[in-house]
Amino acid sequence: MELQAVLMAAGGGSRMTDLTYNTPKAMLPVGNKPLMWYPLNLLEKVGFEEVIVITTKEVQKAMSTDLKIKDVKMKLDVVSIQEDGDMGTADALRHIQPKIKTDILVLSCDLITDVALHEVVDLFRAHNATMAMLMSKAHEFTETVPGQKGKKKTAEQRDFVGVDKSGKRLLFMANEADLEDGLSIRKSIMRKHPRMLIKTGLVDAHLYCLKKAVVDFLTENKSISSIRGELVPYLVRKQFSKTVNSQKLKDDTDDQTQEKNDGPLLISSRDEPLLQLAQERSCWNDHRGDMSEAYHGGKLRCYVHIMDQGLCCRVNTLAAYIEVNRLAPKLFEEPSVHPSADISERCQMGSDSIIGAVCHIADKTSIKRSTIGNFTTVKEKVKVTNSIIMHGVTIEEGCNIQGSVICSNAVIGRGADLKYCLVGNGQHIEPEGKREGELSYQTEQPN
Amino acid sequence: MASKGGKQSRSASGLSCRKGAGDQEEEEQPLQAVLVADSFNRRFFPVTKDQPRALLPLGNVAMIDYTLEFLTSTGVQETFVFCCWMASKIKAHLQKSKWCRPSSPNTVHIITSDLYRSLGDVLRDVDAKSLVRSDFILVYGDVVSNIDISQALQEHRHRRKMDKNISVMTMIFKESSPGHRSRCEEDDVIVAVDSKSQQILHYQKTQGLKKLQFPMNIFHSGSEEFEIRHDLLDSHISICSPQVAELFTDNFDYQTRDDFVRGLLVNEEILGNQIHVHVTQDGYGVRVSNLLMYDSVSSDLVRRWVYPLTPEANFTDQEGHSCTYSRHNVYRASGVSLGHGSQMEENVLIGCDTSIGANCYISNSVIGDNCIIGDNVVLDHAYIWNHVHIASNVEIIQSVICNKAEVKEGVTLKKQCVLAYDVVIGPNISLPEGTVVSMHHPEEEEEDDDEFLSDDAEVGQRSDKTKQKVFNPAEVGAEGKGYIWKASSLDDTEEEELSQCLWGLVLNPDPESDSEDSDTDDPDDPVIPSPEMDDVKVFHMEVLGTLQRGLEENISCDNLVLEINSLKYAYNISLKEVMQILTRVVLEYPFQQQGTHLTPSQYVTLLLPKWAPVFKNYVKRAQDHLDCLSAFEEHFLEQESHWAAMVKVLMNMYELEILEEEMILRWFSQGATSDKSRQLRKNQGLQKFIQWLEEAEESSEEDGE
Repeated sequence: MELQAVLMAAGGGSRMTDLTYNTPKAMLPVGNKPLMWYPLNLLEKVGFEEVIVITTKEVQKAMSTDLKIKDVKMKLDVVSIQEDGDMGTADALRHIQPKIKTDILVLSCDLITDVALHEVVDLFRAHNATMAMLMSKAHEFTETVPGQKGKKKTAEQRDFVGVDKSGKRLLFMANEADLEDGLSIRKSIMRKHPRMLIKTGLVDAHLYCLKKAVVDFLTENKSISSIRGELVPYLVRKQFSKTVNSQKLKDDTDDQTQEKNDGPLLISSRDEPLLQLAQERSCWNDHRGDMSEAYHGGKLRCYVHIMDQGLCCRVNTLAAYIEVNRLAPKLFEEPSVHPSADISERCQMGSDSIIGAVCHIADKTSIKRSTIGNFTTVKEKVKVTNSIIMHGVTIEEGCNIQGSVICSNAVIGRGADLKYCLVGNGQHIEPEGKREGELSYQTEQPN
Repeated sequence: MASKGGKQSRSASGLSCRKGAGDQEEEEQPLQAVLVADSFNRRFFPVTKDQPRALLPLGNVAMIDYTLEFLTSTGVQETFVFCCWMASKIKAHLQKSKWCRPSSPNTVHIITSDLYRSLGDVLRDVDAKSLVRSDFILVYGDVVSNIDISQALQEHRHRRKMDKNISVMTMIFKESSPGHRSRCEEDDVIVAVDSKSQQILHYQKTQGLKKLQFPMNIFHSGSEEFEIRHDLLDSHISICSPQVAELFTDNFDYQTRDDFVRGLLVNEEILGNQIHVHVTQDGYGVRVSNLLMYDSVSSDLVRRWVYPLTPEANFTDQEGHSCTYSRHNVYRASGVSLGHGSQMEENVLIGCDTSIGANCYISNSVIGDNCIIGDNVVLDHAYIWNHVHIASNVEIIQSVICNKAEVKEGVTLKKQCVLAYDVVIGPNISLPEGTVVSMHHPEEEEEDDDEFLSDDAEVGQRSDKTKQKVFNPAEVGAEGKGYIWKASSLDDTEEEELSQCLWGLVLNPDPESDSEDSDTDDPDDPVIPSPEMDDVKVFHMEVLGTLQRGLEENISCDNLVLEINSLKYAYNISLKEVMQILTRVVLEYPFQQQGTHLTPSQYVTLLLPKWAPVFKNYVKRAQDHLDCLSAFEEHFLEQESHWAAMVKVLMNMYELEILEEEMILRWFSQGATSDKSRQLRKNQGLQKFIQWLEEAEESSEEDGE
């Protein structure tokens, strides 16, 4: 076993509370599959046989009943943690540290991508890296989002990512918010990597290959609680820290004492003597222009694979959720209509729509660019465009639904007209109701 | 004369340009270049005391010839060469060269002035004379390059067309990683570029910095990818739009190109001017900015990195300069004789009629014409210029020996020694690392601060001095001639800096080491306008320049006043100082023009009444009159021989109504502060004048009654 996979599926979806009010983020249906199925599928496809899933009790329960998850052939080692424990991703890693025997691949449950996973892992292997991660060009959302008037202002702080000439080595990482006094780079870094590309407009896919030593390091350093927020920036910075590199050189002689004294030192990967020998004997070098050894003697190395093609999306906002629903089904060649669905022949259905299991679609309906979940009933003369209908929804006759998200078990009254709305779990929309750009969920109607 | 010729041809072509207006016409205009044949610093002192930098031989060819060859081969058809220091020598050299032959595809105009103090002055002059019509190439006279800039030029023109003249400059860089030998430590820059447009967002010299700061506003341009590049070597070649000259005129505080770039980047949002980069990977373009660079450029040249500019190409087309090229990069000109058992290991260039004795070992060296080298001589990285005599059993490592120097028997020159012109060393002495020997005494240096202004007058004084001072045999050997320019004289820190500068900073392989920090001063700062220099002095020079230009170009007095006023604010000069300086400048002006031997009447006529309106503008209050008069007095105290003219000048000023009689009388009566000024007041002419004034006053008073 070269890599152990760890799936982080405990996130609450704090940036899309409208959707996750009743359904945990990991179980949100995307193309009629729970969100967490996608990363699991990604792992299964490349041949993982076992995954450690860190999640909450609630998700664990849902997983046991979900058909799609049951289809997963890998052995799922589900570790549930307390939801309200305020546990960060790094905390979770620390929690499962006893289970970690090798280097790990960590990914988040909200990642939907068609990346060739070996690209990231190859970087990790080839350079004997401490960390390798995946990034992608930010996706521009084109769909109108319910409840948002006009275009969303992209007031979010940009991430600055610095890579070397090859675009692989990760040299610098910072958020705009931390750079008020300007971006500052040590000259020694520029000497080693004289051409640095600073990229903005990248999204971090939250997929990391990490050395086992990093997990061990986490158990020593309890202050780090988040992988993305703290651990990764720390590793990137540490690449050029003098103490790690120079002391590591001495390591050969007084290995044991050094490591015990210095906690952070553990972080640098322990090159097997053979690897080190190979590096010494080889004329290979990762840079040109000066005569120093490969990697300039640095033992801690971070790499990043930046996708410039294909889909890579993190479902962490409503806009992303809607977008992904449209894109994700294209990744898989499956029949768009579930065999158990009952669809009237006189229904106009676009090829870009998906109908889930045990659905009833009546006559004279029109369904375009939409997803209809399992156990959903759509009655006569209903028009659904650009919408996501989750499971167990009932849509009465003559409704017109456009650009909306209807959560599970909602009932849409006869002749209702919904445009760019979000209808929460189990909501009832009164007959002939006309709504535009509204969000309606539980607050109006207590359980 | 040549500059006049240049002007005429310019105006002629200017006319033709006006006839054929239109964009297409513009593109067909001949490409122009501005070549600055002056470094405006003293990095090559004391070598450049005898020869301007542009004429120093590199691979036995003057550096300016490389620059001109580069310009010509890149398609330049008209070049303006601006000279200041030792302009006559450069002019003579160019007139003899192939560039001034009628067959030359590149018309060279030589423009000289003693008043250029910086690149800024040159470009302001370019603007004032409106020499350039379209995009031009700006280059220094010590740039060696084979870069084909036609692509960069095309890009530049394209950008200008697309963006309505927003892009004003394209800087040419050569890719070269930080550890490279030809990287000049003091020229190290860090550039932040927009990846897509290649626009410069940030430009900084990195010498002595440990952390590089980039202001955030450079990342707000809307682009998603930026490059921070430290692998660029500034070739000091730039393609400029005509606005560059105008911008220099508008911003009289811009002295160097760095000032300009910095200024534009800071004001980008306001002015909307942009600077772009062009990076070449395979071209060669380097400025010889110190001796270390001289060393590496020389060896690159011999190793044929600057192809097609190779030693055997004889591109200067001088007779007798052709040489043969053989294995291991050994070049021999005609008439070279090599003694028995002598080896030319590799990378050796030997000029014509040089004879080398037996059992010599020469590697990585350049030897000039007509040199005589004895037996058992070891030369490694030695740069020996013309007419040098080297006796037997000499060892020279990484040193420069200038024309007509003589090295006697048994001498060893360690690394980075410099023997300037006509120096004699030896016999049997070893010079330590970094020794600089010159026939000019280092103290001379301090005595004549403004050698720029009157180098002719100096030569006479110099020979007197050298007679007085004695060579130290312990330093230069028993038969030696020359003075050591000490690298570590404790009493004079400035001197220390100068000597260090000669070789420049050695590339430091370990960036974290402390030694880098010891050279924090930026030696590349231009000598004149550095902030340490007295503002008043700079102002003085500027006023002088302004008035002179005013005369040459017939600028109206109102404009002169405006210019002086702006200078006053730029240098923060009080009104009183303005008054004094103006007076002194005007009074000194005739001397500078004609030398010190003037008859009083000549002197007075030269003191053109032209400037009277300027004076009138400043001399208003009573205090102004007194300030003016005290400056006047000071001036004449220094120029005793011209006391005869003093009265005439005073009379003149009185008649022109610059000074009022009342004030003159008050100044006279206010009494003298020193013996000399008392003497001055006793001057017959002056007394007569005062008397006359007093009488005139009385009579006018009487009239009034």
